[in-house]
Amino acid sequence: MAVVEKHAAMTASGVSGRKAGRFNSDLPQVWIGIALIALTGFGPSLLGNEYWIHTFQLVNIYIGVAIFQNFLFVDAGQKSFGQGALLGMSAYGAAIVYGLNGWPLAAAAVFGIGAAMVGGLLFALPALRVQGFHLGFVTMSAAIVFPQLLVTLDKWTNGINGINVKIPFLTQERAFGLSLIGLAIAIFPMLALVTHYAIRRSRLGRSMFVAALSPEAARALGIRPGVMRFIAFLIAAVGTGVAGLLYLPAVVFVSPQGFNIEMSFIFFFAVVVGGRGQMLGPVVGIWIVYILPNILLAQFIEYRLLAYGCLTLLAVMIFPDGIVGSLERLRARRRSTGGGEKAFRIDNFLADLDRRSLTSRPQDEVIVEVIGGTKKFGEVVAIDSVNLKVRKGEVHGLIGANGSGKTSLLNVLTGLSRLTKGSFKINGIDATTMAADRISTMGLGRTFQTPRIFPQMSLWDNLRIGLDARTENPSAEVAALAARLEEAVGEDSAALLSHGQRRLVEVMRTVLKEASIVLLDEPAAGLSQSERQHFAELVRFLSRKMGKTVIVVEHDLDLVWNIADTITVLEQGKVVASGAPVAVAKDPAVQHMFVGARHA
Amino acid sequence: MLSEILIIAIRGIAIGSIFATIAMSFNIVHGATNIFNFAQGNMFILGGFAAYFFANQTGLPWWLTMMLVSSLGIAAIVAFQGYLTLLPLRSSVEQDSWLISTVSVSVIIGALLMITQGPFAYSVSAMLPPFQLFGTRTPGAYGLAIVLMLFWFVALRLFLRKTFLGLAISALSQDFDAARAAGLPVRRLQLIAFAISGLMVGSVGFLVAPVISVNPDAGLRYVLNGFVASVVGGIGSYAGTLIGGPLVGVTAMLTAYKIGGAYQDLASLLLLVGILMLRPQGLFGRVTARRV
Repeated sequence: MAVVEKHAAMTASGVSGRKAGRFNSDLPQVWIGIALIALTGFGPSLLGNEYWIHTFQLVNIYIGVAIFQNFLFVDAGQKSFGQGALLGMSAYGAAIVYGLNGWPLAAAAVFGIGAAMVGGLLFALPALRVQGFHLGFVTMSAAIVFPQLLVTLDKWTNGINGINVKIPFLTQERAFGLSLIGLAIAIFPMLALVTHYAIRRSRLGRSMFVAALSPEAARALGIRPGVMRFIAFLIAAVGTGVAGLLYLPAVVFVSPQGFNIEMSFIFFFAVVVGGRGQMLGPVVGIWIVYILPNILLAQFIEYRLLAYGCLTLLAVMIFPDGIVGSLERLRARRRSTGGGEKAFRIDNFLADLDRRSLTSRPQDEVIVEVIGGTKKFGEVVAIDSVNLKVRKGEVHGLIGANGSGKTSLLNVLTGLSRLTKGSFKINGIDATTMAADRISTMGLGRTFQTPRIFPQMSLWDNLRIGLDARTENPSAEVAALAARLEEAVGEDSAALLSHGQRRLVEVMRTVLKEASIVLLDEPAAGLSQSERQHFAELVRFLSRKMGKTVIVVEHDLDLVWNIADTITVLEQGKVVASGAPVAVAKDPAVQHMFVGARHA
Repeated sequence: MLSEILIIAIRGIAIGSIFATIAMSFNIVHGATNIFNFAQGNMFILGGFAAYFFANQTGLPWWLTMMLVSSLGIAAIVAFQGYLTLLPLRSSVEQDSWLISTVSVSVIIGALLMITQGPFAYSVSAMLPPFQLFGTRTPGAYGLAIVLMLFWFVALRLFLRKTFLGLAISALSQDFDAARAAGLPVRRLQLIAFAISGLMVGSVGFLVAPVISVNPDAGLRYVLNGFVASVVGGIGSYAGTLIGGPLVGVTAMLTAYKIGGAYQDLASLLLLVGILMLRPQGLFGRVTARRV
């Protein structure tokens, strides 16, 4: 919080009269959420009404499950229709061990969470390979199969009759009308909320989020999206498993009908109606989706599912951000009209690094080498036996017409696609079959034709994911740079940045990552003349002051000729010329490129 | 023994043909919109209910008329659903709201059927006579299911390759932006794709009603099995569904016969997870160029 206050102080005294608000209201929402949960958790016990105690215990358990659904839904980008089945697996696991076999409670707890994790694995394993709607079908299918199995495997589950479990030790009233289980159920959703918040603020949470928003960008930052999805499903399974353990003593009875797909839909719909991704969303969502039809409209109980469906459809059509999300947007809008976003300027931040006396020169050592690289997409040959040598510390321009294979080559070098034939080395190490995340950890950084800037994250978080991508501690200079960036743009939004500024943010990300090789994919596209000038200086800076090797794919020949130490010309996937700019310009094979370009 | 295997194979292929047709109906919408309609199973079941209410124990002409009317009606419902689904996608940056809206439509239809019809399975009398196959009486609708799969496969192939409208829809699935830039009425084509998918599942649901379980819960099972068929065959591949559907159907039948009917859905789920783990592009899917 110190950062926010400092930032507020800085802007108040300096730039403009803008009142600096938070980028998002996650933290206040957590506090409000905890207060609301306390209300439903402790209120009924204080009043001593059995019916309300029981009902709100269920509400609190559902809120906890919905919080993990929310985490899975937005932070990890995975839509699951099977969270209710996981809840059931845990409750049933514990009921079988404790209720039917009379094992100790601790064993029941371990078994219950274990059962939920096995179910979570069923979701998490395919998540390693696929994402999105595939997993929607897998989870929905599991939610349908689970109650069927409970009925069929009656030898172990007591079938359709269910299992009665009484644990007086837990349900006995202790103080203020509260039992041990009542206390646990009141606290569980609070902990779930805090856990969600903590994950979101962590490096893991940011990596998950980037993987959900843009798998390519994530892989270029050394993140493995499949692993992120896997972890997210397991975290959600454990959280939901805990909820299942609380469900059992609170409801005292489990049966197959209790865990049908309708239950899974409740959690999913609650998140949508409450507000996807908002900390408070699941709390409000369960209040509306569960309390409204079950308590206020109890006589219309058979219309419940219909009400869920209609509410959710309505939410998607009319207020896609959900209830809390819509309020949050109002808040964010009020905030951004206060003074407008500051432009993101990179120069001041690099000034420190600029003071270094170091001036690096291109060396003779080859840092990236492609040997006979060929890439085919079906019948189309995108890269045709390309040989390429990039020297350490140089700015290497890759030019050529559209479809000449420049971006394909860049994608091969970053590991996003794989050579059909031939090989390439980075730092002398064969990287031909390496995955993108491995290559990234070897010191590669890249930008994309459309900058991968995520308006859902604050500007600082957008930069910080570069810092997250590091495998070792940052150098003193980069650490200082990061600290100053955080102070200056800590709570700024990235949504209003211009295209040119987004590029700069992406470049800054690679600086924070301390990538020794930086690949820029058409960086000048969409930039104004002055922005291009500025960008050219930045590229020179990266190379000469920071000692980075820069490979730049670009259409703007003037720009390339100004900044490149070596230029390679591609035509229909083949290298037609390569060498110093002066030499290449005289090469008859590329003369025709200028005629058009110079006068364009 | 041999005849048992043959019976399992025939019934499996027949049930699988239904899954294959649902998978093809997924394909046409997915190609045109990148949307997977989770409500497709309930649309299929609506066809079954239509057969029960409008054409149970009637004569052939009336039956055929009602088949056409209810298929067109379901096509209209799906087109309207498509319109609703596409509406928020027009402006929003986030493009996955379709998943939520199609699931909620599926829940709404299921809930409406449950409220009005109760949780009962309705049996629809057969229009086609049973036929003798390897010494057993096989319901005519099983044969019809296979014929329908082949019919829709050929019809879609001709439509997508030979007609202007079909070619335009194919263009959408190849390059969306290029199609828009070429001046194709993208939104209208997408709605037509939705309508065609509705026509497919509506007609097939109506025609095979005697051999399926017509109840409000069944829709989800058909949409899931249709999806498994689609994944096994490779998403987007029409020829793949001809193999994927029957494969899923035979797996389900074999499971029912060897282990028990209650494990059919589990078998489909495990098949789905297995394919996604080992060969996510499906048996016939191609790895396409990635755009960055």
